Amino acid sequence: MGLRTRKFLASSARYAVALLALAFFLFPIVWIMLTAFKTPSEFLKSPPVWIPQTPSLVYFEHVIQTGGLKALGNTLIISTSTTLLALLIGSLAAYALARYRVGGDNLPFFILSQRFMPPVAVIFPFLLFFKALRWMDTHQALILIYLTFNLPYAVWMMRGFFMEIPREIEESALVDGCSPLGAFWRIALPLVSPGLVATGVFCFIFSWAEFFFAIAITKSQAVTLSVYIVNFFGKMMVQWGEIGATSIVSMVPLFILSFLVQRYLVRGLTLGAVK
Amino acid sequence: MSTRMFRIFSALLAVAMLLGLVVPVAHAQGPCQGSSSQCAVEAAKQFAGTTINYVREAGLQAQDPLTMAPIWEELTGIKVNVIELAYLDMYTKPLQDHLTGGGAYDAIDLSPMWMQDYVNAGALEPLDPYIEKYMNPADMEDFLPVYRSEGVMKINGVTYGLYDDGDVFILYYRKDLFEDETNKAEFKAKYGYELTPPETEQQMYDAAEFFTNKYAPELYGLAMQRMEGQAYSWFVGPFSGRGGQFFDENMKATINSEIGVQLLTDMVKQNKVMPPGVEKWGFMEVLSAWMDGKVAMIVTWPPIGRWSAGYGDTAKQLAWVPASKVVGKVGYMPQPGGRPTLAGGFNMCISASSNNKEAAYLFIQWMTSPDISLQRVMLPFALRDPYRLSHFNSPLYRSAWPEAGEYLDTLKKAAMAGQYELGIPGAREYMEAIDNALTAAYAGKDPKEALDEAAAKWDAITERLGVENQKKAYEQWLKNPWNRLGPKVEVPAE
Amino acid sequence: MVATTEALTLKSKTPRRKRRELIPWMFVAPCIMVILLVTVFPTVYSLGLSLTKWEIGLQERPFIGLGNYIELFSTARFWHSLLITLLVVVVGVSIEFLLGFGLAQTLSSQMKGKRVIVAALLLPVMVMPVVVGYTWRLLWDAQYGPINQIIGWIIGQPFTYTWLAKTETALLAILVTEIWQWTPFMFLVLLSGLAVLDPEIFEAAEIDGASGWAKLWYMTLPLMRPIIIVALLIRGLDALKFFDIIFTLTGGGPGNSTETLSFYIYQMGYQFFRLGYGAAASFVLLVFLAVFLTYLLKAFKSAVGS
Repeated sequence: MGLRTRKFLASSARYAVALLALAFFLFPIVWIMLTAFKTPSEFLKSPPVWIPQTPSLVYFEHVIQTGGLKALGNTLIISTSTTLLALLIGSLAAYALARYRVGGDNLPFFILSQRFMPPVAVIFPFLLFFKALRWMDTHQALILIYLTFNLPYAVWMMRGFFMEIPREIEESALVDGCSPLGAFWRIALPLVSPGLVATGVFCFIFSWAEFFFAIAITKSQAVTLSVYIVNFFGKMMVQWGEIGATSIVSMVPLFILSFLVQRYLVRGLTLGAVK
Repeated sequence: MSTRMFRIFSALLAVAMLLGLVVPVAHAQGPCQGSSSQCAVEAAKQFAGTTINYVREAGLQAQDPLTMAPIWEELTGIKVNVIELAYLDMYTKPLQDHLTGGGAYDAIDLSPMWMQDYVNAGALEPLDPYIEKYMNPADMEDFLPVYRSEGVMKINGVTYGLYDDGDVFILYYRKDLFEDETNKAEFKAKYGYELTPPETEQQMYDAAEFFTNKYAPELYGLAMQRMEGQAYSWFVGPFSGRGGQFFDENMKATINSEIGVQLLTDMVKQNKVMPPGVEKWGFMEVLSAWMDGKVAMIVTWPPIGRWSAGYGDTAKQLAWVPASKVVGKVGYMPQPGGRPTLAGGFNMCISASSNNKEAAYLFIQWMTSPDISLQRVMLPFALRDPYRLSHFNSPLYRSAWPEAGEYLDTLKKAAMAGQYELGIPGAREYMEAIDNALTAAYAGKDPKEALDEAAAKWDAITERLGVENQKKAYEQWLKNPWNRLGPKVEVPAE
Repeated sequence: MVATTEALTLKSKTPRRKRRELIPWMFVAPCIMVILLVTVFPTVYSLGLSLTKWEIGLQERPFIGLGNYIELFSTARFWHSLLITLLVVVVGVSIEFLLGFGLAQTLSSQMKGKRVIVAALLLPVMVMPVVVGYTWRLLWDAQYGPINQIIGWIIGQPFTYTWLAKTETALLAILVTEIWQWTPFMFLVLLSGLAVLDPEIFEAAEIDGASGWAKLWYMTLPLMRPIIIVALLIRGLDALKFFDIIFTLTGGGPGNSTETLSFYIYQMGYQFFRLGYGAAASFVLLVFLAVFLTYLLKAFKSAVGS
């Protein structure tokens, strides 16, 4: 067998594997998306119908009528606020950790470890805490919770980004009489802005998809998409069409975001361990 | 029911609602003499401008209050905010709310099973003072006795809820298949007795086996919900009908008695004559198979009876319901086995931590009043089922489709012979243990072993909550004749 | 770098300098405060809670010492949920790793459209776990799901197995679902790990006549060790908290056979309101996490600590 044939075979095999993998990993997503356009007699048909015959937007309309927009709005407000706060507080701390080595080696690791706190372990005290503040079912309650889970992440990620930029630029600014806060805000922060964006996107994704706290804290006013979708899984009936429609609404923004930060995906997903 | 008939009916409903709007009411003070709905409206006007939060199961269930709330607001100026929750959250969320400060919900829908937990936690407002003040006493008597009894609307003699959903299992069967002469002859040849709509579990099984053997995979003999989270409801009625008991005199669980084990063995056997995959079937799967003409019998909740008659299938809320292929072919029987399960059902209750108790109470009185509730249990898309004598006797309802009279009579008969699910503290956990045992047995576990495990769980729950406490609660609960297990309900003369 | 920092801070100790030393602490303060307030306080509170008997059916909340822990350790259902959790962590994450590694190896060389393929493969990671559970519930359905349909096509006759109704296959379904969602993560991380390996070493080995397996075993794996460890630990830690998919896919059934520890705690604490007992169980989960976490932090130190 010639080298060319072997190369050709190897590359065909690679494409075959890629195709197979794509089929496996995309099929479920396509399936739930198609469900949003099927009639009940289609998604309750045996054997199943793959392609909706009379696609319509009826489930999207239904989702809009039954508070879907509000859930989307809540999710947006909560995710955005948490992300901004986490970036602000987190990068300030990260800067101090990276530049001044505050707390030595242990403080950053302590902060990181909080990211892995199991939600079930802290939920009830949270409930009592928010009861005392009269914060149950409010945006700020979820924002605060997600902030504590995003902060360790943001600190850790941003610390990595700050450590990568040469410190000489800030040092000269400090010598020129710039305050440390000024050096952070005007010089260091703009330099890590790509990192800021990447970190922010991951904080946003985490808050967007979170379910456990959301279902415990929200009642009616602050319901997020993940809680909203569960309501369609009723005791008497499962509204697959609405589940499909809400799934689309919940997925598409994240898909777009993940494309935008593709360069930082690995770093983001491994908490900065792999660059 | 034809589309045209449905239109006429809708027009009649609209007129009735309008009449409700314009009829003047004289008495604003003192006990209510006239219609409870109008008394509620009159008294509620003083709260115009307030908003009440009302918890309802999400989905189709919520379509009913969403339809009614604007009418109520128009009448009284009180806005009703319908909060939709998934079924199991309806137990946890309001309780959680109460434990963590409360005030989020004013009116709550609660299953009778959950009432004792709520009352023990101090989460519910006693309704008797309001009833005395605002309700026409005759309308209280109009609730079917089974629904206004101790353990349902009342806990320890105090009223905590207004009953609003006549949920009872009945058997729906295909008249055309049961009346077919060839089927009858073949059945008799094989089983040695006449093929009739089943009254006993054995008859139901035989018929199911017969139809499955003959028609599968085009048609199966029987379908019931077997999915986790609701499977237990199909155990309770037959268990009671066969003479099973939940506890012995020392509050030791006896669900793993011979009766229980035999029943579960039979239930596992039933799966074989049901459509493949039935172990995961919920209401939707049963409904769509039934409407599609793929099963000969089903045992489930009441709304299927209306939908399979094609009643109101033009309502846009019902667009998801598969069109019925069985119109005019449906017959009704109480769930075989003697004690149909009074499965679920809902009380409308007032949260003890509500800030708008009076307004919320007036809303639920209005919703459950004879005239308004009749409209609601007749809404084609409603999941609320008849529960008042006046519903069962309503000429309007009885003429809604050709067999509507039969349907209503069967519902009433089934309810009056019904068996409630356990409603003592920890009920949710007790029932979940049975549910786990059932799904484990469907997955292949030995029925005895599965029920032994469930019984051990029961004993652990009882011990944890205090044997004496639980015993007292259980004795109190048993005061309701429909809670007492056994082949027959012994209703005291009124 | 350390030297420069010290040079910066250790100059003359004027009052202004002292103030400057405090400034970094002020930068960290808001972050530490939030973390202390919202994670440390609840943990301590839960520890106290786990020593009391707090149940919805009872009026009293007596202190019962280790009673909840004793009950927990003598409950078969708890051990079973732990077993299922470990099954997901060990088996699930291992398979994710193997599949991810295989995929990364296959797709590591130059090929047309690679960027798009990689981006598309990553989509499962971006789907809400709740949605993932519902989607797979639909896919596994005996009658309405395409999985049985496809199997039916292959074997040439209708196939209606009820996957989620039998313990073994329900577990399989859970594993497949978890693997579906997180293999792309492994794939991506390992792919980027492979990308930074120096191709020259491999060329040299090839000239020396090393086989493909030998290169994989003696070169690729050792070189990628830090990355592999970090990826495994991050997945392992998250899988220990496995909850959302169980909630929507199997609801813990049939029976309690597919409950994970998080799901069990949720049932006990927030469905049945056994708050003390639930707190005790969650502490056990915390201990497990702490063990894993120690290893993770060490791995981090060797991967990025430098």
